[in-house]
Amino acid sequence: MIEISKVTKHFGEIQALEEVNLDIATGEFISIVGPSGCGKSTLLRIIADLVSTNGRVTKPESGAFVFQDSALLPWRTVQKNVELLMELEGVADRKEKAKQALAQVGLTGFEKSYPHQLSGGMKMRLSLARSIVLNPEYLLLDEPLSAVDELTREVLQEEIHEIWKKDKFTSILVTHNVAEAVYLSNRVIVMSPRPGRITHIVGIPFQERTQSIRSTPEFSSLVNDISGKLRAWK
Amino acid sequence: MEVKKILPPALILALFLASWGIGAKVYDMAFLLPGPWLVAQTFQSEFEIIMQGLRITFSAAFTGYVIAIVIGITVATVMSLSKILERSLYPYAILLQTVPVVAVAPLIVLWFGFEIKSIIIISVIIALFPIINNTLLGLKSTPKTLVELFDLHSGSKVTTFFKLRFPAAIPNIIAGMKISAGLSVIGAIVGEFIIGSGSEGGGLGVQIIYAQANLETALVMALILTATGLGFAFFIVVSSIGYHLLHKWHESEQ
Repeated sequence: MIEISKVTKHFGEIQALEEVNLDIATGEFISIVGPSGCGKSTLLRIIADLVSTNGRVTKPESGAFVFQDSALLPWRTVQKNVELLMELEGVADRKEKAKQALAQVGLTGFEKSYPHQLSGGMKMRLSLARSIVLNPEYLLLDEPLSAVDELTREVLQEEIHEIWKKDKFTSILVTHNVAEAVYLSNRVIVMSPRPGRITHIVGIPFQERTQSIRSTPEFSSLVNDISGKLRAWK
Repeated sequence: MEVKKILPPALILALFLASWGIGAKVYDMAFLLPGPWLVAQTFQSEFEIIMQGLRITFSAAFTGYVIAIVIGITVATVMSLSKILERSLYPYAILLQTVPVVAVAPLIVLWFGFEIKSIIIISVIIALFPIINNTLLGLKSTPKTLVELFDLHSGSKVTTFFKLRFPAAIPNIIAGMKISAGLSVIGAIVGEFIIGSGSEGGGLGVQIIYAQANLETALVMALILTATGLGFAFFIVVSSIGYHLLHKWHESEQ
């Protein structure tokens, strides 16, 4: 369970967040959407403890953060990049675990490649593998798919869903893409323009997440509903 | 591919040698402008003296270069670890660069004597700043998200330095070392001009002064070419080390 209570944030004169309260159940997948500059990334960084706040965030011990730019070490091979966080945290059996994680994201065979030899989608897979190999209780994703093309994006959404379904870590995804939020989440959190606050929480009722749900009327109506809420501020 | 790479600079060299040769022929004053052929002959006839000079200058320049690398990386590391130390030390690193070394050399002679160590010190002073400056730049420009990643996963300052900041700075460190390669030889030659032969025989700088006094212009030129080649050799060695370290991952070597 992650509890966010009375979280506010000022950057100098500018108020970025206005009292955010939110509880996320263990194993739940939520997404945060909102107009650019609404402070959704700031909120995620506050949860991660990368940014300070006067509010309070309680969360499980072990977690990982997936950065927008995949944040790989260019001088390390794929294998060594997957082992990086395990090295930092002193995890044993790194080779074996790395092998499994790479298999899980479909990067087997690329162990000796360097990040610059990978496509954007593969870099993001590697970044995911590096995080899930830690077996985290929660995962924070900061617009992880914003740099990949539309087709790869849908494939990766499916892969993220599969990994989440298997490992059941609590997930918070920040995204610009409403369809992505609807496809992946149990709940979608809608935020207002700066100073950001939560204006709507939309429950997503789907049991199964397959590519085919994208073409159902419920899916489109949820996407339209949330997009409408976002457009209302423009 | 290889031919394409070599051909343009080879053409420039041929053009240069040809105009030099023609110029020397036209002026016909070998003591002012010896032709390339005469210089080549001198190189052969004075081979032993040139090699002796090369050996002495090499040991001074190489020692100075290595010391400059060690001190430069250490000082830059210290500055990168603390803002206060950086602010206190950096202005003096700049002064090191702006001080007219030739003017300071007499002081160095007073303190350290007419010895090879004075020559080495001058070489260090000249070669040091580019290494400090580039290393510091590299250590300070670690991508922010990577630093955050290490912070999140309890990377200590030491771990973050060795696993992240230092490897990320290697391209800049190599760049600094490339600039200093030639400078360390220049420093050694300047040192030899002022200090003389030291307790050993004369290095290239000393030989140049002797040869000039005897109006052996062809020998002066042969010695200059040798000194140039020495700096170039340093550069090539550092470049190939850089290539081996970087070609697998860094844009600059691909």
